[in-house]
Amino acid sequence: MTNNYYEFFCPVKVIAGKSALEHLPYELTGLAAKRPMIVTDKGVRAAGLLDPVISACEESGLEIVSVYDDVPPDSSTSVVRDIAGVYRQEKCDSIIAVGGGSAIDTGKAVNILVSEGGDDIARYSGAGILKHPLKPFFVIPTTAGTGSEVTSVAVITDESKGVKLPFTSSFLLPNAAIIDPRMTLTLPPHITAATAMDALTHATEAFTCMAKNPLSDAYATAAIRKVSQSLVAVMDNPKDTDGRLELAQASTMAGIAFSNSMVGLVHSLGHATGAICHLPHGLCMSLYLPYVLEFNLETIREPLGELLLYLEGPEVYSATPAARRAEASISAIRKLRDALYKRCELPRTLKETGKVLESQLESIARLALDDGSIMFNPREVSLDDAMAVLRRAWA
Amino acid sequence: MIAKRLQPMASHARRSYVELMFQVMGRALQAISEVDETTRTETRELPEGFLFEMQVMPNGPKLIVEHTGDGRLHFHGDQAPRPVDLSIQFKHIAHAFLVLSFQEKTSVAFANDRMLVDGDISYAVRMTRVLNRLESFILPKLVAERAVKEYPANLKLPEKLINAARIYLKVASNFVETVRA
Repeated sequence: MTNNYYEFFCPVKVIAGKSALEHLPYELTGLAAKRPMIVTDKGVRAAGLLDPVISACEESGLEIVSVYDDVPPDSSTSVVRDIAGVYRQEKCDSIIAVGGGSAIDTGKAVNILVSEGGDDIARYSGAGILKHPLKPFFVIPTTAGTGSEVTSVAVITDESKGVKLPFTSSFLLPNAAIIDPRMTLTLPPHITAATAMDALTHATEAFTCMAKNPLSDAYATAAIRKVSQSLVAVMDNPKDTDGRLELAQASTMAGIAFSNSMVGLVHSLGHATGAICHLPHGLCMSLYLPYVLEFNLETIREPLGELLLYLEGPEVYSATPAARRAEASISAIRKLRDALYKRCELPRTLKETGKVLESQLESIARLALDDGSIMFNPREVSLDDAMAVLRRAWA
Repeated sequence: MIAKRLQPMASHARRSYVELMFQVMGRALQAISEVDETTRTETRELPEGFLFEMQVMPNGPKLIVEHTGDGRLHFHGDQAPRPVDLSIQFKHIAHAFLVLSFQEKTSVAFANDRMLVDGDISYAVRMTRVLNRLESFILPKLVAERAVKEYPANLKLPEKLINAARIYLKVASNFVETVRA
């Protein structure tokens, strides 16, 4: 018997497809929630994405008691405290987060405060602090990439100390994630591309890093197939509802995969680049993915070769000699990036972003070495290794 | 029947082994921070007075080291002078035994959810690198390759032997001092 061992956990009910939003009132009442609060940002409201959510509830006689629409891109402890204050003042009994990663993380953090009590969210930072289930919580993603609707983590900035506080607990997971294609139909092309590449990276790293397991593999490969088959079609026809739903589902599936098998060096470099150069996370993922796969190649040749089936389909897979499939998978990802560059100029190198200086590469490498996800990268990474990957990604 | 009778003895032996390994590792961490500049480069980034703990949950064997400044570590045994800043916890004595008997790499144990980190994850990554470097020095290459994710290609035999000898000497001296005290 080998030492193989894994854990897999995802209790989130996924409600996906046409008219999925209209299931929300039923789910709320099923948990005896009568006074829901929406947590979102101004962009979501301006795009009119709240309207179908609110009318879906009103048509079922359920009133949205309060809407907080001022969540910033990097949510903070004071924002969380303010929203919790509104929640208590309005006597709400449940939370609906509508938006991308920041709104969802904020919703998770607000749920901690309103369930556990107090005004200081920092008290609950860390892993395993929460010991009880929280208030009813629902997530409606408006991007297709982060997978936050199925992860048990939230990150909130403590602006007084200038640090990011991590919160980890299975109690942060929502009761349900509602995946409705209407919510991503108006995403601009470059955000569609970057967030889909985020999902592709989640799935690829989940499938090739150290904590991979049979269940996360199944979600990862399905997510990769969906992104490969639908992304370019959606870029060419943004109103393709079916394609949008495929990407949204891929994001959720990739989220389930990576939250159970973690990610690796692409994320370490991406987190560091985001912190130093303020580049969007999805873009960082797209930038680094092929170069990190090349770095890891000899350690991940077998699983990476398997991914060719999901990236390019059975004909290309069977026509490619087994020994060349790993390289062909990297080529397929490069081809996808070229297609995205052609359609929305999504940068393929650090230089193309115009926001990174070559002199910043060493700082990025040093910061990446201390990122938690580097523990799960299949190869050990030294400073020289990280610099080598960054130089290849430079131009 | 015999297996059933031997079970408590095996459990006791496993626990004693883990306790002994923690005693050796704690002293070895102190020693490597005194003899190896690369290790000090890593540990200098820890705040002065930073307390690091490795423990078996819930109240099993543990080791505690403190960063006393300039990258130097001091082994406190299993008693922390104040609440620790970073704790790496094995969920069960069996998991600690797997890692400390080099049947499972530290990185694999993390990936397999055998261990939890309580504290700043970036410091945990740093301390894991220090532990890997320690194991690369003090273990024979064949054993070290089972303990670390990747045996350092640039670690040559003379450097390994000299550092290992210095670390073992310091560990032995520390044990003697502890017994005398």
